[in-house]
Parts: sequence; structure tokens; C-alpha cells
Amino acid sequence: MLLDAQTLARLQGVKLRARAVMEGVLSGLHKSPHQGQSVEFAEHKEYAPGDELRHLDWKAYGKFDKYYVKRFEHETNLRAVMVVDASASMGYRSGALSKLDVATTLAGALCYLLVRQQDAAGLALMAGGKWKDVPPRASAGHLNVLLDTLEHTTPTGATDLGSAADHLAEVLPRRSSVIVLSDLLDENQDALRRILALRQRKNDVSVFHLVDPAELTFPFDDPTLFIDMEGQGRVEVNPREIKESYLEEFNGFLASVKAACAEADVDYDLVRTDDKLDDVLLRYLSRRGRRR
Amino acid sequence: MTFGNPWMLLGALGALIPLLVHLFDRRRPRPHPFGPLAFVMRSQKRTASRLKLKRLLLYALRTLILLAIPIALARPELTRDAAAAQVVKGPAATAIILDASLSMRWSDGTPLFERARDEARDALKDLLPEEPATVLVCTQSPAAPPPPGFDRGRLRSLVDEAKATHGAADLSRCLDLAARALEENPMPAKRLVLVSDMTATAFRLEAPPPTVKGPTGAPVKPEVVLRDAAEGHEVLNNRAIVDLKVEPALQAGPRTFQFTFTVRNFGAEPVKDLEAAVRVGESTLAKGFVDLPPGGTTQKALTVRFPQGGTVLGQVTLAPDALVEDDRRSFVLPVPRALKALVVNGSPHATRYRDEAFFVDAALTAPGSPVEVATRDAEVGLREDFSAYDLVLLLNVPAPSADEAQKLAAFVESGGGLFISMGDRVSPEAYNQRLGPVLPRPLRLVRTSAERDDPDADTKSARLAQVSVEHVLFSPFTGQAEEGLVGARFYKYMLLEADSPGAAGASQVLATYEDGAPAVAVARKGKGRVALLTSTVDRDWSDFSIRTSFLPLMQRFAAYLTGSLDEREEVRVRVGESATLRPEGARKVSSVRAPDGSEVAVKEQPEGALVAGPVTEPGVYSVLGADGKVQSDLSFAAVLEPSESDLGRVPMDTLTAYFGEETVKASTGDADKPTVPLWTWLILAACLAFFFEGTLLRK
Repeated sequence: MLLDAQTLARLQGVKLRARAVMEGVLSGLHKSPHQGQSVEFAEHKEYAPGDELRHLDWKAYGKFDKYYVKRFEHETNLRAVMVVDASASMGYRSGALSKLDVATTLAGALCYLLVRQQDAAGLALMAGGKWKDVPPRASAGHLNVLLDTLEHTTPTGATDLGSAADHLAEVLPRRSSVIVLSDLLDENQDALRRILALRQRKNDVSVFHLVDPAELTFPFDDPTLFIDMEGQGRVEVNPREIKESYLEEFNGFLASVKAACAEADVDYDLVRTDDKLDDVLLRYLSRRGRRR
Repeated sequence: MTFGNPWMLLGALGALIPLLVHLFDRRRPRPHPFGPLAFVMRSQKRTASRLKLKRLLLYALRTLILLAIPIALARPELTRDAAAAQVVKGPAATAIILDASLSMRWSDGTPLFERARDEARDALKDLLPEEPATVLVCTQSPAAPPPPGFDRGRLRSLVDEAKATHGAADLSRCLDLAARALEENPMPAKRLVLVSDMTATAFRLEAPPPTVKGPTGAPVKPEVVLRDAAEGHEVLNNRAIVDLKVEPALQAGPRTFQFTFTVRNFGAEPVKDLEAAVRVGESTLAKGFVDLPPGGTTQKALTVRFPQGGTVLGQVTLAPDALVEDDRRSFVLPVPRALKALVVNGSPHATRYRDEAFFVDAALTAPGSPVEVATRDAEVGLREDFSAYDLVLLLNVPAPSADEAQKLAAFVESGGGLFISMGDRVSPEAYNQRLGPVLPRPLRLVRTSAERDDPDADTKSARLAQVSVEHVLFSPFTGQAEEGLVGARFYKYMLLEADSPGAAGASQVLATYEDGAPAVAVARKGKGRVALLTSTVDRDWSDFSIRTSFLPLMQRFAAYLTGSLDEREEVRVRVGESATLRPEGARKVSSVRAPDGSEVAVKEQPEGALVAGPVTEPGVYSVLGADGKVQSDLSFAAVLEPSESDLGRVPMDTLTAYFGEETVKASTGDADKPTVPLWTWLILAACLAFFFEGTLLRK
């Protein structure tokens, strides 16, 4: 059973919505891309809350007076990080759900799926220029931490995908799965390229490009004062007069993003906030299956 | 401009609505936080200039809509001439003016006049049954047309019988006459239909256009329909003989004349090698060629020697063009016949220049002179048969015998000419006794003003004081030529008795000395003429014989006395004018015939002159005497008015402006076009503006 946006909107909280979506796709199609376990040391990583304490490298602590956690190759079946853009523009909604609602729901559902099959799921929330990381773990108790974090996320600040990319490059081990959920409305023209560069570090990168239907169709009629959600900009226009030009610009932007993703071998999916999210996930998992 | 519903103009204030909306529209736009604002801003920047233009156009179109509709509802009408009342609409009393001037004879295969008649017939056909009409054939002297009526058959036959004339037509006058005729009809609407080739010479555009009395008595412009008989011809090419001068060419021999004719090209194309000729009857006497630039004038001189004297009737011609009538011009030329003169020398001398007849003989036999001179002494000369001569000159001859005097008198009575000059051998008493009936005046005595050997002879000698230059004998001696006469000195001259009042064949004194004594007296005696010079023709009594005026004066004496000097006034008459004829003496004129043989009306004037005409066509008009024979010397040639050869056309725009654009209905006989009121254009403009406004809004 596929859930539409209105139905999901009636479910309060990310947990319920994510669970509902997850159950919609619980056919369990997902399989871990990596088999077995390994104890081969791979690298050190600075300790972050949620890391296994047993992997703390006490020798390193003795040398550097900092906590480092040992990382091992194939430590988990899959290590996935949901990068959720919680900038102010993600709070825009013309229908039942905002882009951030959709992003957190999708992220929650994916976390469910991953944890359910013993894969490690983590979060990287970007809001107001600050990062909130939840390192990937596969324990069942970790799922609550992930969902709580998503639950309490509010849209604020400007989009800064560039620094998100840099942050992830720093904290993520190689061969991680990076799932970006963003509207990609970043004034920095270089930001997307830097996100896509994660692919070069042998990470599996997927992009859920979230757009509101109003952004796609520009359905405004009366003279409107458009206010920038992430800055001080404002402009008064007659929407009918610029509609054609706006759509041309925006569709050009979408096409350029899609082309850039294809070029970087990054999975790309344009998600409208009125799309059925279980359908979106099924589509995603289906593509994943084909890639493998 | 006038308005049918002027109060509707208040609605034009609505045109301010777009401006007021722009100025006072303070609606606050709805604020809307929007993520992709950068795209909105870029779009606005891209479309800003286009949007500004679009807004301006929208503003203009909306203003136009709101302005045009109330103005259209006010029903505006354009009136160009505020002074003239409006044209009255509806069925109209109609006058058709058919141009019958010479220019309508222009033909490119079909004469313009034929086309004009067709146009006039069409105009009659186009009339509504309830429209009365009249027709005026516009000639040089048009008659007022009858009031408009409904007898279409009569009008059609009037058009059918009309013929193009050879004269100019004053279309402005004809339009006025037609307008007056229309006023006699009570119908309020009037219409003038002008059928013409629209040549400029036919119009007087400086005069006001025709008007008729309107319903209120105020002048109203009638509707004017212009039907162009020369439609399709921008220019009517034509060349014509516009002037002709015929002068004796004495240097080329007797009876030789130079024909100088002025040819003008009224067309827009140059003419090369145009044949010009002098013809008499069927024979061509001289021929030449002329080149003419467009609009240019040139003169051509052809010299013709006539084999014998008499009156010559002929033509100068050009190679014919589309208007043949002005390519020829007739002339009547009196060619002096050969004269035989008997010079009776009363005082011959072995030395030629002292001979009495030397100077006279030299003068009469000068080159070009038609006079053949036979000189005899008095004894022989007076016994000659005078009938073999046209002229006898008695130069200082002693008084002839009674028989000889009788012969002389008979000679003069029968038409001979007699010239008598004085000298020492002339006895006044004997002359008065023997030649009394012939002399213009009896001789009295010789007066000596100065002796020739007197040192003060120059100042004492007599000079001519008064000369009748208006007389044909002395007519050339005006201006500088007069010096040759008044400079002559006369030492002796014969005084004459006073003329007896009431005497038959009274004499005429044509020149006098300073003391008033006659120097030259002439008289008619029977059919002949006698001239008396009261001094000598050699250098005995005067030095006149060595003056420059002597030769021409003697030649004129010879011509005058033989009647071959054109004493009558040259009859210059143009088509449309009347010719005044002055038959000499008791000659009677029975009739005058036109070139086509028709008789011309002749009226007798109180002083004996006759007025023939007005003449209606160019050519030679023959004058018939009482005996029914043609009096060649009275014949005259009628010529065309040169301005009528100028076929320059008035542009239709000019005519439309002249008559008033609101009154000129049709120009070429096409079907009448319905007039479009101004308000329909305004509505159309509003609809178009509405359409474009919608199109702009949708974009």
C-alpha cells in the first residue's frame, strides 16, 4: 500500500511516518552489499558520541591526549549516513508536507530499513551552519537515537552543501553509503560538485533532490512579495509576467543537477513533496538492486 | 471638426483611468517566503526591459480604448472649410459640363472629345430617376444652360451633337454658369459633373470654386464629380507653331520673304528632326527641320521667293502630332508684283550724279526692288504710252502740253501712279494750268530758304518739321530712321496753294517744312494716286537725295502710288475673335467664307468697316466682292490661341483641393465609393487596441 503525502501528514512525528513508509516497502528487498566481517584495522577516527567504547584506542589517547576510535575494514555490512539538509528553504511547503518533512521521513524510513537488516545507519544534519552528527551504528537502540534526532530537527539558516561535503569527507570512512536529502538551493555554485566529489572517495552517493510542486509550477497569480527564506532578499513581482522565464530558469537548474549527478555516477532522484514516499523508496531500492 | 453628440466627449475623461490606477493603486502585494528566490530575481532581471515596454504599450492601448469609444460616440465629422456650409446629401440636381475646347481634339487614336462624350453619356446614365439634369457644352463663349429637367433624350442628343471647337474654354466660367442654372432648381442637393481633359489653361484656380445657394441662402459647395477624359495619360505630348512672322528679305531678291515661325514643345519628351515647311496649295515652297527639348521653344526661319506678285494664301506646317490643329498656321501674304516705272527726266546732265534722274533711278533699281525703270527725257517721255507703265515720275519736267497733260490725267484716273518733283524747269502757272486736275494742290511760287553757296546755308536751309509717320508712306521712319528725314536740308521748295475746302479728291499733306509749307502732298485721283514733292530729287534744291532715307522713301513712293504697298491694316485675328475689314473706296463685300466653306456673319460698321465673325476655326477666310469674286487682298487668316496648345494637366489632387475634398466625389468615372464617417475609424481603432491589449496580456 502506497502512502500519499496527505495521509503521511496526518501522522504526527517522524517515527510514525518513517515506520509507515518503511512498512510500505517492507518487502525486504534490501540486501547488504558486503558479506562477513573483518577485523583488519583500517583507520582512526575521532571519537564522537555513539561510537563503540570498546573500539577506543587507548594507546592513541596516551600519545595525543585525544579519543580516537579504531575503524576496521568491513566492520559492518553497510555503513550509511543520511545527510539531511535542514536549512530554512527546506521548511517551504505549498502542500501538506514541507521539504524537510519529506526529507526526515525518507531518512527515518531508510534508517529503519538499514537497522532492521543489521546495517549501520547514521545521520549528518545540517542546520543553521552547524552540524549534528550521529555516527552509523547497527544496534536496535541506535534507531531511536536517529529517529529522535530527526524528530527534533527544525529548518533554519542557509544551505551550505560545500561545507557538508568537506565535513563528510573528514568523518566518513571509505566505501560508506552517503544519502543526501536536500533541495540543493545553495548559492555557492561549487557546492554540488563538492558533494559529488564524495563519490571519488569510493563512497556510494545518492541524492534525493527535494522540490515543492509550487517551485516546479510557479502557480502564483497576484502580485507577490517574494521573501528569501535564507537571507534578506525580497522582490515584488507580478508572477504571471515572469512565470515563463522562471520556469525556464528552474528547469535549467534541475537539468544541470541531473546531468552533473549522471556524470559523477551518483544516483539521483527528484522527489516532489506530494510524491508517495514509499513509492520513492521502492524506486530507490529498485535502482540499488540493479546497480548491484 | 464638428460633433453630433458633443456631450459624449465627457466620456473621454475615462482615458485618465489607467493613469489614476497607476498613480493611486496602493495594493500591498502578498508576502510569500520562497526558497528559490534567486531564480525569481534572475527572471525579473531578464524580463525587466520587455515588461517595461509591455506595460507602456498596455497603458497606451487602454488609454486609446477609453479615449476612442467616447469620441466615436460623439460622432465627429471633419469639415475642411469652416466658411463653407456642408454638402447637402441625397438626390441632387445635376449639371454636366462637357469641355469642348481645342485641347479635346488631342487624339491617340481616339480623340479625347469622343471619350468625353462617352463619359458624359455615362454620367447621364448614372443619374437617379428623381435627379433633374442639364448639360453645358463649354466652348469659348458658352451660353447659360437651361434649368435642370428630366428630358434625358434631349440631353443625350445635346451630347451626341456636341463638337470640339478650335478655341479655348474657360471651365471656371462654365462651372459658374452651370452652378447658376442649378440654383433654379428647388432640390437642396446640387452636383456638378465636369468632363474634361483637365488641362491647366482651362481653369482659373485663383478664382473661388463654384458655389450654389444652399437651403438657408448661404453659399454651399455643390458636390463635384470629376470625370477625366484623358485618364491614363500623365502628360499630353504636343508641339505647336505658336508664332509666325513674315518679313521681306530684300537682300535675297524681289518678292522674297523670310518666314520665321516659333515652335514650342509642350511635351515631356525631346523632339528631333521635326519637319517644318511653307506650303502653298499642294506645293511645298521651303522645308527645314527643328530639334526641340522637352518644354523648349525654338525658331525656324525659311526663305521663300515667290515667282510673281499678288496675294498668296498658304500655310506653314509641322509634321503632325496628336493635336494636328496647332501644327499648321495659315497666312495671307501680299507679294508685291513687278512694277514698271517711267522716269521722265526734265533736266538730264552728262555727269551722272548731276543728272536729275540719277538718284531716283538708283533708288528704284536697288537690289530687291520690284521696280523696272525706263528713263526718258521730257520730250520723249511725255509722248510714251503711259498705259504700259504702272508709275510715271515727272522729275523737274517743264509743264507738258495739253494733250500730254490729258494723257497723264487719264493715266491716273485709270489707276496709274504719278510722282512729281520740282526744279528750276517747273513753272507754277503752266503746271496749274495744264496739270491742275492732277496736282494734289496748285503750285504757287518757289521759296528760297538759303543759297547753296551761302556759308550759313546749313542753318538757314529748311528742314522737315512734321512727318505723318502714321501714314503708310512714312510709317517706317520712326525712331532713329526719322533722323534720315529730318536731317535733310532744303534750300528751295515750291509753296503750294491752300486746298479748296470741299473739293473732290482732297489732298493730304504728309510732311511739312519748319515754316509749315507742305513738303509732300498726296491725293487720290480716280483709281490712281498722285504724290508731289515740293523740292528736287537731285542736289539742286536740297541734299535729300544723298540722305539715307531717300532710297527707302522713293521705293515706298513707288509702292504706294501703284497700290502695291499694303496700305490696309494687317488683319490679325484669333479663333473666337471677329475680323475687321476695311475695303477701300467703293469696293463692296458680299460675304465672307470660312475655310470649310460656310458663310461667316458680317456686320457693317458706321465708318464703312465690316466686322466678320466671330471666326470659329483656323485657316484662310475668303472675302467675296459684290461680283461674287474672291477679293484676295481682303482675305485674312485666323490663327489659334497659342496657350490652348499647352496641354499641361492639373493634378487631380490639386483639383480635389480646389473644389474641396469633401465635395469631390469621384474622379475617373468609377463607381461611387461610400464615404466612411470618422467615428467608424475610431471604433475600428478601439477594437484593434482591445485585440492587441488582450494579446499582450496573454503573453
